[in-house]
Amino acid sequence: MKSYHDIAADGGSNVVGQVEGQVARLRARLRRVRHVVAVMSGKGGVGKSTVTVNLAEALLQQGHAVGVLDADINGASIARMTGVRGFVPRHGPEGVLCAVSISGLRVMSMDLFLPGDRTPVMWDAPTQQGGYVWRPMVEMGVLRELIADTAWGDLDFLLVDLPPGGNALANLADLLPELAGAVGVTVGSGVSQLIVGRSITLAKEIAGVEVLGLVENMGPHVCEVCGHSEALFGDAESVRDMAHVHGVPFFGLIPFDPRIALCADRGIPFADTAPDSGAASVFAAMADRIALRLLETDLVAQ
Amino acid sequence: MKFLCVPCDEPMKLQEAVGPDRGSMSIVYHCMICGHAVAMLTNQMETQMVRSLGVKIGGRSEEPAPMEMLHSKLSTEAPSQSSGSKCPFTGVVAAAYERSAGPRWSERAERRIQAVPSFVRQSVRKQVEEKAQQLGYAEITEEVMDMVRKELGM
Repeated sequence: MKSYHDIAADGGSNVVGQVEGQVARLRARLRRVRHVVAVMSGKGGVGKSTVTVNLAEALLQQGHAVGVLDADINGASIARMTGVRGFVPRHGPEGVLCAVSISGLRVMSMDLFLPGDRTPVMWDAPTQQGGYVWRPMVEMGVLRELIADTAWGDLDFLLVDLPPGGNALANLADLLPELAGAVGVTVGSGVSQLIVGRSITLAKEIAGVEVLGLVENMGPHVCEVCGHSEALFGDAESVRDMAHVHGVPFFGLIPFDPRIALCADRGIPFADTAPDSGAASVFAAMADRIALRLLETDLVAQ
Repeated sequence: MKFLCVPCDEPMKLQEAVGPDRGSMSIVYHCMICGHAVAMLTNQMETQMVRSLGVKIGGRSEEPAPMEMLHSKLSTEAPSQSSGSKCPFTGVVAAAYERSAGPRWSERAERRIQAVPSFVRQSVRKQVEEKAQQLGYAEITEEVMDMVRKELGM
């Protein structure tokens, strides 16, 4: 009797062919994107989205064409942070048009498809029971569409803001073998460093993704009046040391600056609001180092 | 998944796919040699699993539309809307009203437009709304106003 492997096709649905078609569409779209860089931590609440948006702005200021994909399907925040909430994605000749922020960032996010502030992301199904089995599959499919079906145009950088969870980068790397690297974000607390450290190990050793560098967010707050500097998370464990232990570059420490959150809430670029701030200089330095590292990769590839 | 006609030792071909009906699909395969047919009947979970892959049982004759999965699976009803009014037409009327009402104005944007001198306010409001719609915005926020100003060279 014939086995599965003796039979070439599946009898008519061509499921494998359909999945291959999805992958081909993704590959075709990414041919116009020079570098895809993920921003990850594994830990929630450390400021991945804030770092993503500000890093994107810094790359933009260097003259690069930059897109930002909000891969946090259930906690999408990039549209608000870039001031494009309310944009309704329409179909154009090359795909679904992305929003363009006032500074010129090209943005795609699940938030743009939700009809209102009180509408959570819900997927139609005959029953929501057992959704824990199929919901992740739908979300990965939708993430694939957000990348593949968006008319990004030609991009130098596509930054992907990942959701929390250690597996997020591994899933993205499966979907996008083109991933050029990842930027790790942590805060100074030992708890955060423990979780982010595991994510870095997973990225390097399991997913095979280069960690371009690690940045410490929400560093010491400096009082504008008296100049007193106070660490929010204590200073017992150094993130610089952690980066060294993991063998990844340390991008620096972003001082806590309330204006960053204010700009995010208002959807305006922090780099324009406080170009001379300590935080803006760290974002600019990160952009320099990432662009340089990926330029090296390009040269080696040539 | 493949189907084999055991007596003929030949792969079976897809004949038809019916459904989903209450979450179940009926997928009929037949043997090209002896004509024997079998139907695979899926339960809700199995149907949902296949749909979650973004593939079509029975095959596709054309490319999927952009964001097809997102548009076909995303529920656009807020939880409160689905359990709110008992009138069957409320949703339709609300949707139609929203479509004809033009872009929404955020509270801050509304305050800003109110600061425009009254004799030109309506004209400015109309210009902003038209440009915002052209740019694809359904809500006018302060950021959208800045963008429109930049676009219009104001």
